Amino acid sequence: MACPFPYTYVSCPCADTPVPDPARKRRSRESPQKSTPERTNASSGQDTKEVKPPHNQNEQDEEEEEEEEQTFDPRSPRSNFSLYPPEQLLYCEDCHQIKCPRCITEEIVSWYCPNCLFETPSSMVRGDANRCGRNCFNCPVCTAPLSVSTIENVTGNGNQQGPWVLSCGYCLWTTLDIGIKFDKPTNIRSQLQKMTDSLSGPAFDTRSRQGSRAFGDLKSPLSNLASIEEPASTQDGAGGQPTQNDQEVSPHLGAEARFATLKNFYRSQISETSTSPNDPMGSEFGFSSPGALNRLMSLYASSSRLSGLYGGNKKQKPKPPVMREAINASEGLRIAPEDGDTSVIERLASPDCGWDGVASLSQRTEQSPDVRFSDDLMPLPVLLRTKRAKRCKSCKHILVKPETKPQSTRFRIRLIALSYIPLPTLRPLTLPSPSLVPSQAPDLNALAPLRPVHVLLTLKNHMFDPVRITLATPSVTPGRVASKVTVLSPQFDIGPNSDVWDEALQGASAPITTDPRLRAAEKVPEAGKVWDKGRNWTTVVLEVIPGTLPGSEAEGGKEGADEDELAAASQQDEDVLEIPVFVHMEWDAEAQLEQQNVGKEAKPGDLVARELAYWMVLGVGRITASL
Amino acid sequence: MPPKAAKGEYIETDTGNKISRRSQIHGTQHIILGGKTVIQAEAVIRGDLYRIPATAASTDPNNPPPPSNTPSVAITVGRYSYISKCAILRPPSRLHRGVHSFYPLKIGDHVFVGESAVVEAASLGNHVHVGAGATIGSMAIIKDFSVVLDGAVVPPAMVVPSWCVVGGKPARIVGEVGEGYGVEGAEGGLARERYRAVGRP
Repeated sequence: MACPFPYTYVSCPCADTPVPDPARKRRSRESPQKSTPERTNASSGQDTKEVKPPHNQNEQDEEEEEEEEQTFDPRSPRSNFSLYPPEQLLYCEDCHQIKCPRCITEEIVSWYCPNCLFETPSSMVRGDANRCGRNCFNCPVCTAPLSVSTIENVTGNGNQQGPWVLSCGYCLWTTLDIGIKFDKPTNIRSQLQKMTDSLSGPAFDTRSRQGSRAFGDLKSPLSNLASIEEPASTQDGAGGQPTQNDQEVSPHLGAEARFATLKNFYRSQISETSTSPNDPMGSEFGFSSPGALNRLMSLYASSSRLSGLYGGNKKQKPKPPVMREAINASEGLRIAPEDGDTSVIERLASPDCGWDGVASLSQRTEQSPDVRFSDDLMPLPVLLRTKRAKRCKSCKHILVKPETKPQSTRFRIRLIALSYIPLPTLRPLTLPSPSLVPSQAPDLNALAPLRPVHVLLTLKNHMFDPVRITLATPSVTPGRVASKVTVLSPQFDIGPNSDVWDEALQGASAPITTDPRLRAAEKVPEAGKVWDKGRNWTTVVLEVIPGTLPGSEAEGGKEGADEDELAAASQQDEDVLEIPVFVHMEWDAEAQLEQQNVGKEAKPGDLVARELAYWMVLGVGRITASL
Repeated sequence: MPPKAAKGEYIETDTGNKISRRSQIHGTQHIILGGKTVIQAEAVIRGDLYRIPATAASTDPNNPPPPSNTPSVAITVGRYSYISKCAILRPPSRLHRGVHSFYPLKIGDHVFVGESAVVEAASLGNHVHVGAGATIGSMAIIKDFSVVLDGAVVPPAMVVPSWCVVGGKPARIVGEVGEGYGVEGAEGGLARERYRAVGRP
């Protein structure tokens, strides 16, 4: 309900029918026809009352048999999932149905960096770990984009050589804060990569030779920057065995590098153990192959009868090959420092660290798990975004297909609901004449209860065929605040969205386009008449009598408003006046040459009657407690 | 600019721009309005912050531009764009080679700039919606059909791709608009209607 009033939402029918159900169409056709125009105008109250169930029932059994008798309740918890602003909805031409984001599937057309707007080929996306491989970085502190700038502020025309840094224009963080400078202003990511690699031992080189280098790019924030800081604190706290410890940790690897080394180590272990002559199967298959299972089983089944089952009968292996674990740092082992936690705690408590020195939880989620302090934070390469095509879930037809280029805003295919269903717009009616309604526009955020308000609902047709519309509303809005609603002319036509010139060339045959302001002066809302009509739009009047809030002064002459109840009402948005409207539209479409029509030799000029029915919700305003 | 309507709040130009008499527009010769643009009361448009050609590297912006060529353009606004009350349009600036210089601010068609928003972007695309109270930092680029939510602070030099919704301080991409965004009359396509409603009694 964050939208400013008035707003219109359209309900996707998928909430009621999870699977496409041909019977639904027939059912939905029946309900609006109960209210023929005369009956609705004269006695709309009685007529639609029978459609509307009592409140308690409404809450309990939504999915009873008489589902077609139920009116749409915008307050029902399920409605949240089906109501969308009209511009978000798509339309499937094969299912002839509105499609919301829940009834489509998406597939990625292209990946691009939102910062430099370069497309990343799909083959590189994985290698770059879904992040931009160029110069785009986000600030690790505040997520704003970082820009490359030079430290040396060379004034005049001096050549701009010199170290470069990444700096944040929002929080003024720079890579100088973590002691990083770049030699070139281009290819920052690989420079950063090299910098973080340089501290690593020889094992790291094997990794890069292996070609799995890209793996390490994921969170290039290798925590080895921590290693710059930590030796000092380690020596402070440890005191005891500094030299030996330092020797072991000397090829101190970052988390990613360590992962790659470990992976490398275990891969070699697997190949070593399984290529042993005892196990001829293992040479071709990896660890997860059936051969590996065989080997594992034989480990356990050395003496039991299982050995008979799992091929152990040939020759009893005296000692199956055993994989060893990483035992030194070059293999990726890292021994947790004995005083690791105490030194961290000491640093946390020290006055020069403080609150600002500690990385926040949200900052740490983006970084490697070792990062604790804000000077361990590394710039984050920008995450890629995608352009996606959308398909109908039930018939798999493509509904939206954008152009691949990231810069392009055009679509190859775009079947949006707005080209099919009429676009609803709502605005309050202001009558210039001094009548019941005050002349200035009613404040939609403070509608007085029991005072009739007229709202104009304009439906604009985007199809090239004229459309017949039938509107129906429950006479009393659902919920505890019962407002009375009457559509003054529930059946009307909307013209086709023809070329503007057609109308002009046809001459002024239709005298509908008189000055609306002139006409509005003497016009009053009248039952059975449309308010205004244009080339492809029609406006009708809805008369709304806002109900009283429970516990307010206006209700039943109770003295003094019940504050608690009022507060509760406004908290649950019960005071928001939302009108469910059932829209049924019929039009004659040109027959498409589809499979089912091929046999019948349909001419392209053939007309096929089409219909579509859906609920929409008009958010009119908020009702105040006092009169 | 000869006033046509003597009384009304808005001056309507030949190309249909509706400019409030209470707006503050500086350096009009450096501003190009595409027509049918609405500028509401108390909006501030700083056309006086134009780029001084490199030869005249003077530090004093009050100096008149060198009379040789046509005045450089500081702000371009497309058709049917709408500058709400108290909004500020300011050309972006950058320290380049030690010289602080201004760059042109380009605003596309059907752009909405909300109340008391501050725009210092390098460019706003077409159908861009800038919410009330939003701030767009220097040299930011907002591409077509994107939405800056109310109160967002777009950091300097940020690029907002098309169809994206950004919000927060600093602004991040928080979502995408639907495919129907920008269709005439729907959300994002209300610019003509907005234009027509301005200045009506």
